[in-house]
Amino acid sequence: MKARVLYVAAAALVAAALAFPLWGFAMAAPQYPDETLHLQIARTGIVGDVHEISTLQHFIGVRFPTELPELRWATGAIAALAALLLLGACVGAGTVGRVYRVLCSVALVTFLVASAAVVQVRLYQVGHDRDPNAPLRGMRNFTPPLVGPVKVGNFTVWSFPHIGGVLLVAAAVLTVAGSRKAAA
Amino acid sequence: MKRHPVILVAATIVATLAAVHSMGCGATRSARSLAAEKVYVAPGELDKYYAFLSGGQSGSVFVVGIPSGRLIREIPVFEPRAAYGYAMNDNDPRRQELVATGGVWGDTHHPVLSETNGMPDGKYLWINDLANGRLARIRLDYFEADRILKLPNMQGAHGIAVVSPNTKYIVVNGEFEQPTDGLVTNPAPYTSVVSFVDPDSMQVKFQVRVNGNIDIADTSKDGRYSFSTIYNLEQGKDLGSMIQYDRDAVAAIDIPALEKAVAAGRGQVRNGVPIIDPEENPGILTLIPVPKNPHGINVTPDGRYAIASGKLSPTVTIIDAHTLKIIAEPEVGLGPLHTTFDDRGNAFTSLFLDSQVVKWNIDKAVAGKSDYIVDRINVHYNIGHLQAVGGDHMHPSGDYLLALNKLSKDQYIPVGPDLPENQELIDISGEKMKMLSSFPTVPEPHDATFMAVSVLKPLVHQTFTPASDAVEAGKERVVRTGPHAVTVDMTLIRSAYTPDKVEVREGDQVTLKITNVETIRDMIHGFALPDHNLNIALAPGYTKTITVDAGKPGVYWYYCTNFCSALHLEMRGRMVVQPKDSTVTLPDWHAAANVQGQVVPGVPSTGAKK
Repeated sequence: MKARVLYVAAAALVAAALAFPLWGFAMAAPQYPDETLHLQIARTGIVGDVHEISTLQHFIGVRFPTELPELRWATGAIAALAALLLLGACVGAGTVGRVYRVLCSVALVTFLVASAAVVQVRLYQVGHDRDPNAPLRGMRNFTPPLVGPVKVGNFTVWSFPHIGGVLLVAAAVLTVAGSRKAAA
Repeated sequence: MKRHPVILVAATIVATLAAVHSMGCGATRSARSLAAEKVYVAPGELDKYYAFLSGGQSGSVFVVGIPSGRLIREIPVFEPRAAYGYAMNDNDPRRQELVATGGVWGDTHHPVLSETNGMPDGKYLWINDLANGRLARIRLDYFEADRILKLPNMQGAHGIAVVSPNTKYIVVNGEFEQPTDGLVTNPAPYTSVVSFVDPDSMQVKFQVRVNGNIDIADTSKDGRYSFSTIYNLEQGKDLGSMIQYDRDAVAAIDIPALEKAVAAGRGQVRNGVPIIDPEENPGILTLIPVPKNPHGINVTPDGRYAIASGKLSPTVTIIDAHTLKIIAEPEVGLGPLHTTFDDRGNAFTSLFLDSQVVKWNIDKAVAGKSDYIVDRINVHYNIGHLQAVGGDHMHPSGDYLLALNKLSKDQYIPVGPDLPENQELIDISGEKMKMLSSFPTVPEPHDATFMAVSVLKPLVHQTFTPASDAVEAGKERVVRTGPHAVTVDMTLIRSAYTPDKVEVREGDQVTLKITNVETIRDMIHGFALPDHNLNIALAPGYTKTITVDAGKPGVYWYYCTNFCSALHLEMRGRMVVQPKDSTVTLPDWHAAANVQGQVVPGVPSTGAKK
């Protein structure tokens, strides 16, 4: 009973995650006093202060990804996961149900870990795969962490899970709890 | 040890003197510190008020922060200003408008703010050009002159006022009298007109003929009357004959009666504007006799009184703003010019000859009590206008007063014979006035008006929404539109011009449409073209179109004049002017034709689209 509720909730959270940006970046610099620049990775692509950030990036030769093909399969995966979790609420309390739910939680956690890895690789590329002819000298390569700040020139760049990301993590917690409950 | 008594006495005297001296210093320093604290605005903090000061013969409006006295912006209006790329080039539409309406300079005197319910609403500021009979409107969302009106049938647009409480008209006084029918051969005495301008269309709706020189204006707070001081009722044409009469007048114009007469077709239309002659239309104009050659006229915030300042008479005349009767004529000092108000029933009058501001109580003066003078403070020197914050509106704030002094003499480090003007900020929150600070300006503010930062700041835009005809990034082009005409659609963004090469031929007229495609505030780019008398400043989102003659054959580097980025110096491009007889073909260039839709600044396409 309890597992069922948890799985319905988890499915709802995962579905809801599609409506919100998954990851966010905030960029603060002295000459942007009350206008910290923001970027969000959403289902539809990169949104936010794209214009300004693309204007700035040529100074340090960062190649701003204009397209993220990963988003297409990630969207599909999230939708599929929502459906799988909903099914997990229906498969009952028997062994088949329990095994199914454990597999579900493994799938969701795996998806999250894999996504995090992809994002981290992307972030590494942004900081390393730079135009060697960029005008500004003395800029070291950088790797923004998944969560937290990094100093890039005069900017402090914060990365953090946005609403969608938080919802996915919350869903993962619920599914793990749900599968443990069922196993007990 | 035995000490000589004389030494002891001497030591005591020295010690006492030192103590007294240090006490004196302490007191002085403390008064200074208190004043300094009142005007100190720490770096990064904002002033409390916008002060708009007319620029006088600078033809502009100065924007100063109060209480700091920091000059924050100059809004060019009637004079070209290279710093803002304003009306610079011969082909600039604003410059052509200025030339057509009287010239590329102006003499601005009286800034007035648009009002809603008797308080400034932050929509517009109007400023007169005394010299060339013009009225300009400044949009306060962009701090930019948007309309310039040449007032017909009059010369010398002097006093102006907004018809309270909701800006029904702008009243503009014609100071320099003219032949009534405009014909110099007419021997009849000259006359002047008061104009009523529609605030939205900026058209003169109607005018009223008045004998004499119409000076300063204000309006009753209920929209019924406009008041104007008039000198030279004698209608004299030289100084001696202008000051014969013992009394001149305040002209009260009944606005609803005037509108009725205009609607009834009683105006004589000249240059498209109906002029009402009050002698043929009684009930419109009331002349209230005041001592000769008066100057300022100021209506109290509660709308009860109109106060005319005597100038040559040491008095102010208190007029009931509803019955138009003179209530009292108290003496205030020598050379009273203008009056302003606090929120506690006090008036402050500038005394030109005494170089003072006198504070007096209105109720006491009206009641004929002898102790109506509250305080006097010296100003430096020969004060003209003065304005307390909100004193020209319905709810004065009663905290600061700005004295706009005509002469500065010894007040600033000497800079040759042409000295700066001197503004002094006075604390009027207490019974006694306190001098806080002074700041100089270039010539020459006459009057000022204020707006609370809390009201205006939220209304101010810092980027433009691109106009429908703005050039879009990726759609830049260089196109020949005629045998001697080239059109360039250009965009600017850190740190490049697109295109960064424009090839033309000697004799070409080059029309540049330039859009700053930045979206972030304060990212202003210039477009300066050497040896072409051209500098444009473009705020984010702004588009400007200008036509220049290609000039002599050569390579001209256009460059950014407004420091923008780390690559500011590199932000430039070339206008290459081929000789007239050159046989080089100059293909059109389209940014969109570049590979994969990528905009490569300044790379001319080989397969140019025609």
